Amino acid sequence: MSEPAIPTFAETQMDGKPVIQVEDVSKLFRTPTEGTIGALQGISLSIIPGEFVTVVGPSGCGKSTLLKLIAGFSPPSSGRILYQGEEVRGLNTKVGYVPQESKLFPWLTVEENVGFGLDAKRYSRQDRERQVRQFINLAGLAGFEKYYPAQLSGGMSKRASIMRALAYEPPGILMDEPFGPLDAQTRMVLQDELLKIWEQKRQTILFVTHDLVEAVALADRVLVMTHRPGKIKDIINVTMARPRNIFEIHRQDGFDDAYGRLWNIFRHELNIGPD
Amino acid sequence: MGGFRITLARFVIIGGFLLLWEIASGRWIEPFLISSPSRILSSLIAGFREGDLFQHTWVTFQEIAIGFPIGAISGIALGYCFGRSRFLAEIFEPIIIALNGIPRTAVAPLFIVWLGIGLWSKVGVVFLLTFFLNFFNTYTGMRQMDREYIDLASLMGVKGWKLSFKVIFPAISPYVFTGIRTSIPFAVIGAIVGEFVASTEGLGFFIRMSAGIFKTADVFVGIIVLMIMVIIIDKIAEMIEKRALRWQNQTEHIQIQA
Repeated sequence: MSEPAIPTFAETQMDGKPVIQVEDVSKLFRTPTEGTIGALQGISLSIIPGEFVTVVGPSGCGKSTLLKLIAGFSPPSSGRILYQGEEVRGLNTKVGYVPQESKLFPWLTVEENVGFGLDAKRYSRQDRERQVRQFINLAGLAGFEKYYPAQLSGGMSKRASIMRALAYEPPGILMDEPFGPLDAQTRMVLQDELLKIWEQKRQTILFVTHDLVEAVALADRVLVMTHRPGKIKDIINVTMARPRNIFEIHRQDGFDDAYGRLWNIFRHELNIGPD
Repeated sequence: MGGFRITLARFVIIGGFLLLWEIASGRWIEPFLISSPSRILSSLIAGFREGDLFQHTWVTFQEIAIGFPIGAISGIALGYCFGRSRFLAEIFEPIIIALNGIPRTAVAPLFIVWLGIGLWSKVGVVFLLTFFLNFFNTYTGMRQMDREYIDLASLMGVKGWKLSFKVIFPAISPYVFTGIRTSIPFAVIGAIVGEFVASTEGLGFFIRMSAGIFKTADVFVGIIVLMIMVIIIDKIAEMIEKRALRWQNQTEHIQIQA
């Protein structure tokens, strides 16, 4: 691979105003058995338009909690979160959210699920139809419009679930380990598709994962979090050129470098000595 | 073939039972105790042709047709409200549970006192017997439903009544239909108990009166008409349920490479 080092989209957009700004956010939970637990501590983070940021960290480090705070499902215990420059208070209806499991509405068809977010957003009938068709085609779900989620395979429901969040074109999309439960092949196919769609649409994505390869392969920046209470341990810039080839990601310039740095950090987190 | 053999076996068993009944009646057991299938059939035909069986059936049907929807809808509505408001639920839950502990048919005489011996006292008993079943099933649905559906829909800007009709009701509909269908026989029980206590017409009145003068065949006629009524109402409810929950009954899975 001897492609010239094209600057990533993120680098060309450095002057853009951040879509998501997390300012010194901490989150405490009260539990009946263990007392107060610190889920997040002193998180600061700024994501600019069109950037693809992944978050990795050991399980229970508050990765999902961070997404839930940005979505406004619950308020931070201290600090504040800005979305498009405005403080998030209550539900953040301008953000897209892809949950861990697909969570398609089982009583709606694929088509109705994908179009669900458009109804509250004043689309004309034609715009709505066009939008739904476009995203169904993008996801390779053409022909399955009238199917119910119970009839879909895991990979197909996952695609429909992602399209449901993308279809109404929110400026920022939060993804909570969306490819976690899928088998390795399906995972790669979906990663590849997600990158292709993202390269067309350039929505800002904050993507939680526990898979280091996935984190590097998809991201402009990888955010590494520590054990509970989750703090930001490091942020790694991934300088791999785009478009990327997910299926041969190991051979791409910059992968080894970013992955090596990431693994080094993780080795300390996991208390594994050098080889 | 399996289906056919099952149907055949079923008919043989039912036919054999009826035949045994017919033979036993008058030979081994007094007919006034158990009547007989042939006598019941002729009483049934005579009852509808010459007698006032149709009027009795119509009266009982009216009591159910008014009391059951009121009981079901108010039960579902209250279950929904409790599910939406923790405040309401915490105030009223112990009260509802205490009220549910009352043997409901014991209240029937009180309804006669309050509402007279006509239609409305029976509507009251039907209401009472169907309300709690629908309430508890709906409330259970509200507590069991996956909150993440509400969160996701809210995040997509759906709120208020739209949230209720597009997300919450569909999500709890399997529970709601369970409530409706389990309460159908209880609606009929309510009407009959009300008529047993005090009435001048209706199938419960007809059964009690017939038993009083040892017209055993007519007692069975009343029971059969009630049974058919329950089956018809349940079939209608089943059809509506199948239509409403067709998203659940999709068994045809497609398997393609993701």
